[in-house]
Amino acid sequence: MGYTLAEKILGAHAGSPAKAGEVVVARVDFAMIHDARAANALTQLGKLGAKELPYAHRTALVLDHYSPPPNPEAANMHVAMRQFSEERGAVLYDVGDGICHQVLPEGGHLTCGDLVVGTDTHSTTYGAFNAFGTGVEGTDVSAVMMTGRLWFRVPETIRIELTGRLQPGVWAKDVTLTMLGRLGAEGANYKALEYCGEAVAAMNIDDRMTLSNHAAELGAKAALLEADEKTFEWLKAHRAREPRPVKADADATYAERIVIDAAALAPQVARAHQIDDVAGVPDVAGKKIHIALIGTCTNGRLDDLRQAAAILKGRRLAKGVRMIVTPASRQVYLAALREGIVEALTAAGASVEAAGCGTCVNITGHLVPGDDQVVISSANRNFKGRLGNPRSEIWIGSAATVAASALAGCITDPREVAGGTWRAAA
Amino acid sequence: MNSIIRGTGRLLPEEINTDVHCSAKYTPGKDTAYIAQHAFERIAPDFVSSFRPGNIIVAGRNFGINSSREQAVHAMRLLGVAAVVSPAFGRQFFRNAINNGLPVVECDIAGIEEGDVVQVDLSAGTVSVPARGIECAFAPLPSAIQALLASGGLIPFLQAHPDWRLQ
Repeated sequence: MGYTLAEKILGAHAGSPAKAGEVVVARVDFAMIHDARAANALTQLGKLGAKELPYAHRTALVLDHYSPPPNPEAANMHVAMRQFSEERGAVLYDVGDGICHQVLPEGGHLTCGDLVVGTDTHSTTYGAFNAFGTGVEGTDVSAVMMTGRLWFRVPETIRIELTGRLQPGVWAKDVTLTMLGRLGAEGANYKALEYCGEAVAAMNIDDRMTLSNHAAELGAKAALLEADEKTFEWLKAHRAREPRPVKADADATYAERIVIDAAALAPQVARAHQIDDVAGVPDVAGKKIHIALIGTCTNGRLDDLRQAAAILKGRRLAKGVRMIVTPASRQVYLAALREGIVEALTAAGASVEAAGCGTCVNITGHLVPGDDQVVISSANRNFKGRLGNPRSEIWIGSAATVAASALAGCITDPREVAGGTWRAAA
Repeated sequence: MNSIIRGTGRLLPEEINTDVHCSAKYTPGKDTAYIAQHAFERIAPDFVSSFRPGNIIVAGRNFGINSSREQAVHAMRLLGVAAVVSPAFGRQFFRNAINNGLPVVECDIAGIEEGDVVQVDLSAGTVSVPARGIECAFAPLPSAIQALLASGGLIPFLQAHPDWRLQ
């Protein structure tokens, strides 16, 4: 019997073949701690009492959630993180550098075939690079910094094939929302996902990262893609280590196989207040919105900003609509500046903010809605009150859907807005 | 750790997410004792005041879903939770529980009522209420996980076995 991507990567790092359901102790290539979990991680590390942390240099500390810190406690935590990094040799990404899941790949810290852990549910993002990325907690990263290893239960895998190509105006976000409507939130709890098929091959790296990232809302432990020339080129450009690409065996055992006709998908939205309450944009078009957000680890990358600029350039947001754009990283911000995207969005009426992810969970308080206001957001979660007001609604869609809706003042199909068909050359 | 755990069952409903476990989300400076005192208050306001060390939580499906918050498990350890039984756990909660020496068992809970004396046998893989003849089987936890639990969690385990020898 063959092996899945998850089984192959975990087995290679454990030093012996691994099958779903087994528990292995595996070498970890890179670890990440962000500022919302650092207090716990440093506390656990203190309990462990390790004198030496031989693997601290393969760990990044990222100051992205409390970015910028809204109170002295958060600012003090940042001071402690900078100090830890300095003393122990951990990599530091400071306030404004970007969101953990963006800066790790951009910094060349991971490559194909790697095993990467992070103190965040969306650590599944690294699967876009054919790496097993998964979310853990403070105790886990403490163990990794001390021993370079960690225990894992090898997950069963659901293989999702996307046949055909996505239509212009339809993105990875819409694929994930479709899956959420089908499987339900946590519908892939404990399991790994493998995405494959023509639509995945046609996606650029930014969109693939959305696919792997957003799998967290499905409860997935990891969301893996196979690597291709686009992957290798991207990793090389970001000075990653030599890729060790892994392919799934044709006779691998899957918990489930799902085939989605990608070419038939329309843009999707998740209605307030559940991420798996999904509708096609054409079915809910016209719903009035007041606030628009493009950003977060799910959809704040350069291609998302390009989608928004293609729709909003030379135009104005609908009267009464407020829009915030938060690039996923400083690199994304700089690229958007060079391409004129920041200018186009600012001229259209949006406020472009420094890179970070504090807006997504209302840590910065920059996007608190009023009562009965409706937010359309490219984020990943829409729990009631997540943006600071339980009397508001959060709807979730692609950056293109958010931009088209901000332009019209109501939920709008980006395919109906000229310019909304922007797509990177394959 | 003895592989048989016996305690009074305390029922909680399904879909308890980590926001309900510990509502002090993203509030630096709040310690575990504070979080423990407020655990589950949104859905069961009297739960903590009537909880006794050694009680076993018997919860509906998807216990501990959502954001990975290790404090949720630290709070439960502080309350003295002996074990948690649920038909399904949130993935990261399950992992955090093992890492902190809190036995978690995936098992059907049909028929178990508030206040029943519940017996969990980790080695045999059974959850039972002997007084009422209820018994459910579960696939025993892999031996590696039982070893971590027996050590009291990942940190005590690594202090004793820095080379990760699981058996």
